[in-house]
Amino acid sequence: MKKIIMLSLCLLSPTLYAKEITVKVNGMVCSMCAQGIQKKFSKISEVKDIKVDLDTKVVSIVTKDDKDLKDSKIKEIITEAGYNVATIERK
Amino acid sequence: MLIKVVCLLALIFSLPSFSHPVIYKEGTVVSSSNMKSYSDNQLMYSWSNRWASGLNHWRFTKDESNTDLAFLKTNYLLYRYNGEFSQGNIYVHGGFGVADSEIEKRQTNEAYMTGVEMDWETRTLYTSWKYYYFTSPKVTDISMTQARIGFSPYEAGFDQLQSWFMVQVMYMPDVEKEAIITPLLRFFYKNVLWEIGSSTRAEWMLNIMVHY
Repeated sequence: MKKIIMLSLCLLSPTLYAKEITVKVNGMVCSMCAQGIQKKFSKISEVKDIKVDLDTKVVSIVTKDDKDLKDSKIKEIITEAGYNVATIERK
Repeated sequence: MLIKVVCLLALIFSLPSFSHPVIYKEGTVVSSSNMKSYSDNQLMYSWSNRWASGLNHWRFTKDESNTDLAFLKTNYLLYRYNGEFSQGNIYVHGGFGVADSEIEKRQTNEAYMTGVEMDWETRTLYTSWKYYYFTSPKVTDISMTQARIGFSPYEAGFDQLQSWFMVQVMYMPDVEKEAIITPLLRFFYKNVLWEIGSSTRAEWMLNIMVHY
């Protein structure tokens, strides 16, 4: 019984914690123009925190516990902000 | 000679205008650009990342007499290059509205405008060029070419103040016989951009833009 409980917890655990998503973005050279990225992601209910780094050209997204954000949604938001997604990585 | 060289360089490398005519989807831009010979005020809404529409008012001043033009205007992002370290854009503009001129005798009539604009920038280099043409039957015909080149001495972070040194060359043969060369300082912080400059004829420039 203990094994079943432990196994269930292990299987469910990835969905119980926040996810950190790292998005490499092309064209992000102007901080004023990139404000749109922060503004758009901040309005998404699944997003807990959003950081834009012009040095690394990376947008770091932290989701709320038990929430996720699909790659298609991330690409849609970045595109609507005027940029291109190079890569998406999840931790 | 120096003025001619600066003017030539700016026209060759030129590019930007005040800032991007289309911003992120559902973003709004309020801007005001002012010099002695002209002012340009805009309220534009980007309803996609390619299209923006809104209101645009221009005032050209020649020999103390004003020509006002008010437009319903649309901007379209024709092409965008998103590179790892740079971005380039080509925009086209079109609008219709009304013109009112007090040059010679007071006249009011329908008016139209069209334009094309290009820019290329990195985090420390900026170039742009734009051409606008305004026409109103029996009232006015005004063409305007503007070019800029600039550099930033440092790469500012996302939440830091960004500073630029720029030179703007503006040529409006229907308003001023000679090109207006204006060295200026550009700053932006978060969603607010402001510029201050003084032309080689000691005419002040003051521009401000806010993204919402």
